[in-house]
Amino acid sequence: MQVATPLSDALGRYLDLTSEQMKLTASNMANVDTPGFKTQGFDFEQEFARQLQSGADAVDLAQAQEVDGLVARPDGNNVSMDREGMQLAKSQLQFRMGVELLKHEFSSVMSAIHAEAK
Amino acid sequence: MNLFGVMDVSASALQAERVRAEVVASNMANAETTRTADGGPYQRHHVVFEAEDGGSFQQTMANQLGGVGASSGLNGFSGGLLGSGVTAAQAVPGGVAVTGVISDASAPLRRYDPQHPDAGPDGFVDYPDINPLTEMVDLMGATRSYGMNASAVQAEKNMVGSSLDLLK
Repeated sequence: MQVATPLSDALGRYLDLTSEQMKLTASNMANVDTPGFKTQGFDFEQEFARQLQSGADAVDLAQAQEVDGLVARPDGNNVSMDREGMQLAKSQLQFRMGVELLKHEFSSVMSAIHAEAK
Repeated sequence: MNLFGVMDVSASALQAERVRAEVVASNMANAETTRTADGGPYQRHHVVFEAEDGGSFQQTMANQLGGVGASSGLNGFSGGLLGSGVTAAQAVPGGVAVTGVISDASAPLRRYDPQHPDAGPDGFVDYPDINPLTEMVDLMGATRSYGMNASAVQAEKNMVGSSLDLLK
């Protein structure tokens, strides 16, 4: 018997991807004063769709690449504090959403277990 | 508009206001600059803001159907509900964009100072036509707008948070 559902599997990947993004954001923020540093990021939607389609357990991590379209400062650094702050807030909310949905998913399994015990 | 769409709109405003503040700071820093790479005194800079078109309902619908959701074969599941526009400074419908920074074409202020290395043959030096008061007012406007949009972000975070509480 299997407790994991397709939804909990998808949510697991969603949480993985979200924390990966949070890590990137933190590294961008850490390098806000590093000359020549370029903002790193990945396309969340595309990456999530790819991971869902790949199906198998072995999922390679998201490839971070330079984010284009940002204005570089004279030292070559193009980290925008506004963008990163917003990204962090978003990722936190996304993470919370994933956790809440996962909790919801497992609580229904728990109530099934308890129903049997009664 | 997806779950974080409102936050994206506020984010575009935060970035735009920061650019505005940077330009004002550069104007004030160069208030006495008499030589530039182009020759002549520094010219005051303005930012030009432009509203990003929200688009019609039909257009948005067509984009959603033909966009990420359909092409990834997920029937729109990830096509804008959960995602976040990570790959860059793309246009945010309903947001604001900085179209460009333009130079003011106003005539320079002429002050008599024959000792100055950039003085003309008549002893007058061309200074940028920059009024610190105007710049300060602009800076305060930018600061206030930034703060206002930051408060909007806070409110939007709370909204998303309380909709998450519905799951509990």
